[in-house]
Amino acid sequence: MPLRPSRVGRVGVIGAPVAKTAVVAAAVTPGPAPVAKTAVVAAAVTPRVGRRRI
Amino acid sequence: MTEVSLDELGPVDYLVVEFPAGASSFTGEMAAELRALADSRTIRVIDVLILTKAADGTVEATELSDVGELGELQVIEAELGELLAADDVDHLAAAMEPGSTAGVLIWENLWAAPFASAVRHSGGQLIANGRIPIQAIIASIEADQATATVGD
Repeated sequence: MPLRPSRVGRVGVIGAPVAKTAVVAAAVTPGPAPVAKTAVVAAAVTPRVGRRRI
Repeated sequence: MTEVSLDELGPVDYLVVEFPAGASSFTGEMAAELRALADSRTIRVIDVLILTKAADGTVEATELSDVGELGELQVIEAELGELLAADDVDHLAAAMEPGSTAGVLIWENLWAAPFASAVRHSGGQLIANGRIPIQAIIASIEADQATATVGD
């Protein structure tokens, strides 16, 4: 089916060809969660009082 | 579609989700989750297109209204705008593999709109934004741990 005529001839909002993003295979593949890495990431995004970056 | 004032407009994002040939398994789960996000006013779906890329690279775009039985998406379809132009289709399809089908979703982040509006009222302007891939977080932590191990 073609696009609606109202879409033709207008200025687009996606300025340039889109590059493919790296596929997050582990996140979309059925099966056991990668527990070790899940825990690591969870620790990194959990609020930590007094945490220093340097 | 309800008219939205520019001042109240939340950040607008897009994504292209590719389904390689023979790999799609549509159970209605995606539609239900999208509907839940819209119903909870977390997002407002602005536009949806389905793209198919043939083996020779030619791209065909299909409007959501032409899909047929929409189920959970019927309500969303009724509220869609037409933000994407025909020119956008080729740009979005550039990331697709030949032989695949992809869904293009444009949405407004309603949850962020009040904060974005407050930022603008305060004189702030967005100069950068983005998403941090989980892989980057893992790589950063693993590099940190490797450094710590070497230092032991």
